[in-house]
Amino acid sequence: MELAWYATLGLVFAGYLVLGGYDYGVGLLLSGIRDDGQRRAALTAVGPFFLGNEVWLVASLGILFGAFPRLEGELLSGYYPAVVAALVGVLLVTVGVQLRGRPAEPAARARWDRVVVAGSALAALGWGALFGGLLQGLPLDASGHVAGIGHLATPFVAATAITLVTLVAVQGATFLLLRMPKGQAADRARLVRRLVPVALGAVALATLLGSLSADVRAAVHPGALVPLLLLVFALLAARLLAERRPGWAFVASSLALVAPVLLVGLGRYPAALVSTVDPAATLTVAEAAAAPATLRLLAWVAVPFVPVLIGFQAMSWWVFRGRIDGKAPVYW
Amino acid sequence: MDPLPLARLQFATTTSIHFLFVLVTLGLVTLLVYLQTTSFVTRKPVYERMVRFWGTIYLINYVLGIATGIVMEFQFGLNWSGLSRYTGNVFGAPIALETLLAFFLESTLLGMWIFGWHRLRRGVHLALLYGVAITAYLSAFFIMAANAWLQHPVGYEVRDGVAHLTDFTALLTNPTFTMALGHVTSAAVLTGGMVLAGISAWLMLRRSPDYELLRKSLWIGLVTVTIAGVPLMGFGFAQFGAVGEVQPTKFGDDAAKAQAVADFTARFGPGDYLPPAYANASLGFMILIGFTLAWAFVMLPLFYRDWIVRLKFPLVIVGLSLPLPFVAAILGWLTREGGRQPWAAYGLLKVDDAVSPISGGVMLASFLGFTALLLTLAVTNWVLIAKRAARGAADPALGRSLADVTAEDDDERRPEPALAR
Ligand code: HDD
Ligand code: HEM
Ligand code: HEM
Repeated sequence: MELAWYATLGLVFAGYLVLGGYDYGVGLLLSGIRDDGQRRAALTAVGPFFLGNEVWLVASLGILFGAFPRLEGELLSGYYPAVVAALVGVLLVTVGVQLRGRPAEPAARARWDRVVVAGSALAALGWGALFGGLLQGLPLDASGHVAGIGHLATPFVAATAITLVTLVAVQGATFLLLRMPKGQAADRARLVRRLVPVALGAVALATLLGSLSADVRAAVHPGALVPLLLLVFALLAARLLAERRPGWAFVASSLALVAPVLLVGLGRYPAALVSTVDPAATLTVAEAAAAPATLRLLAWVAVPFVPVLIGFQAMSWWVFRGRIDGKAPVYW
Repeated sequence: MDPLPLARLQFATTTSIHFLFVLVTLGLVTLLVYLQTTSFVTRKPVYERMVRFWGTIYLINYVLGIATGIVMEFQFGLNWSGLSRYTGNVFGAPIALETLLAFFLESTLLGMWIFGWHRLRRGVHLALLYGVAITAYLSAFFIMAANAWLQHPVGYEVRDGVAHLTDFTALLTNPTFTMALGHVTSAAVLTGGMVLAGISAWLMLRRSPDYELLRKSLWIGLVTVTIAGVPLMGFGFAQFGAVGEVQPTKFGDDAAKAQAVADFTARFGPGDYLPPAYANASLGFMILIGFTLAWAFVMLPLFYRDWIVRLKFPLVIVGLSLPLPFVAAILGWLTREGGRQPWAAYGLLKVDDAVSPISGGVMLASFLGFTALLLTLAVTNWVLIAKRAARGAADPALGRSLADVTAEDDDERRPEPALAR
């Protein structure tokens, strides 16, 4: 039961990274668009999906709290700065995207767009730092206390933070490639092809720094190599497919965002939180989980309802599929 | 520095800000359901204009509901890790259910509602709004169940020092849940009515165009305030009995209080088991506001021959009353949450044991940072609502297409219109 819930948690959070990833990716790319109308068009491409994307984050937190209450407490408070950065980023994007269309003056809209850019960067940095932190473990003692927050200040964490920024940028670029009018396809594909090498460079740097860090080597077992290879191949595939098959390029860049979750989940299993100071304090998935009665109750609800939830999301993807054109409804 | 008061203050601040927005969300979505259903059935254009105008205001307000809600969700883990550690098995369940059953659907459906104007069939579009409203109430349902459990823990047993869930239905029949849910939802509907009435009154005083829409909104708003006030007071007074029995230190008489304090001292050692004085003071002021709002009904006869508009001062009164339900709602929460101190879960877990083992400095930085951020966003949001409302009911943002927008603000600055290709 714990394993099933742990997998669900991973799946839902990966769903958030894939979907929220293109929100933030498009958000980052707004910085390169000079013209207000074009920025609005890019956000219109995200348009109907935006609200449905970030609820995957809310759902992951709900599952984390319901099914892994102990992990929730120790994870979020143990990685305070990373989590707060991500949280502030998420907030700024949510607010910025939804409010930027309200003022009538283009100057005010441009200010909100800068908020969106900053928020997207912060959100990606925060989640990336959290991944890095999870992979290197934290100074957790047996009572569940973590001493200080300095443990996050390592080159490896900085590298994973930057890596995630590059991954969401690629994701945003392939999303726009898929959704923007056909006429822009060549430019969009060029952007994807230019961003992928940057992302690969970041991945290489993070891998190098990780293999140099004793903590990371201790926390992660060789199984982590599989998701790492997946990440590299997915990025390469996104680059190769960008020109001809935008749909598949988007699938590939989405896989590149699933890979970090697999890396953290599989690479450290059965540990959920690795302690760097006391091996006995390492929190395993089974220890982190809620009691069986709670997990059963949640499963009774989740099994029938999760298909419904995904069904409604699929309905929204279906209704608003395809490239946007002049008739696309605008609200942001 | 002691992190506990900071963590409490931060929780109180963020939750209060969250509540100011979700109160409006719940209230307005209820009225939007009424308006869009009427529009669907009667096909009168004024109702569609109302849905688009009030819908835009609802959506601006919704933004901060989400933003502050996400902060709330994180806050449990960030600042109250003891709460998840000791009571997570029980308390986590309603929260998890809320996120899965309520939020997930609500936002997905709302996204389709916003972008579905003129694209989906009218019936489907209306059904989406019903879905949004139902899920919004579901989220109030589960969150109040979670909160009620902290007020009066039920359906659990303690094993190995940790609470375990034994009976989920007990959480839903909790006496501190049922009455509070009724009270909160009536408060939300009343607030929604007040928003309609208050904004319409101000716009009429400014002689904003579309008199027909504003007069109708004013009427609907005032009728809503009048009607919702009845269950609001009913459930409100009923709470004294329900809560007093299970929380003697909040609403019990002196004998019950003394006995509860003796009992807690025996079980948890000496300490201050009486709630702070502000809890009681807030209660008094809330009830005062409740009785003030109950006078809304005297405005209704003034609609005869439009006296309410011709006399003008009734409009001023309605406009000035706009903040009242918001103030009352915060006061109500101060009563409820302050009144259960020093407990995080009443009689089970003290706040000292619930707070995260984080240094005071980090907590202070987080408190100052988030409070500044959320307050800025909240004020910005209200300013945007006010500006949007002041522009009047013409040109609502809902239901436009990219071509409309580019045509509207297209000039020589941008020779090449977006997406022209
Ligand atoms: C529009 C806002 C509003 C108004 C006008 C009132 N209330 Fe209220 N009240 C709330 C909004 C609210 C609230 C914010 O919704 C609370 C906070 C917790 C809760 O369950 O509802 C609340 C709590 C609350 C509590 C505390 C419950 C507890 O401690 O567990 C009591 C006893 C009352 N109310 C009673 C009343 C009475 C007798 C009122 C009027 C005559 C009244 N309220 C008007
Ligand atoms: C203190 C605990 C609370 C937590 C953790 C919490 C959490 C959240 C979250 C995460 C959201 C955003 C969901 C989304 O993305 O759509 C949200 C929205 C909402 N909350 Fe809360 N909330 C709390 C208290 C309350 C209370 C007391 C009520 C009402 C009685 C309430 C009613 C709502 C409603 C109706 C929404 C959806 C509408 C909107 O976003 O404006 N919440 N909440
Ligand atoms: C949205 C409406 C709510 C408001 C305005 C509100 C307000 C407050 C206030 C004022 C405090 C601080 C009390 C003090 O300092 O003496 C507090 C504390 C707290 N509330 Fe709420 N609350 C709300 C809903 C909830 C809900 C729904 C939950 C649980 C699901 C909750 C859980 C808590 C917790 C854990 C604390 C900290 C422990 C404590 O100081 O008692 N609150 N809240």
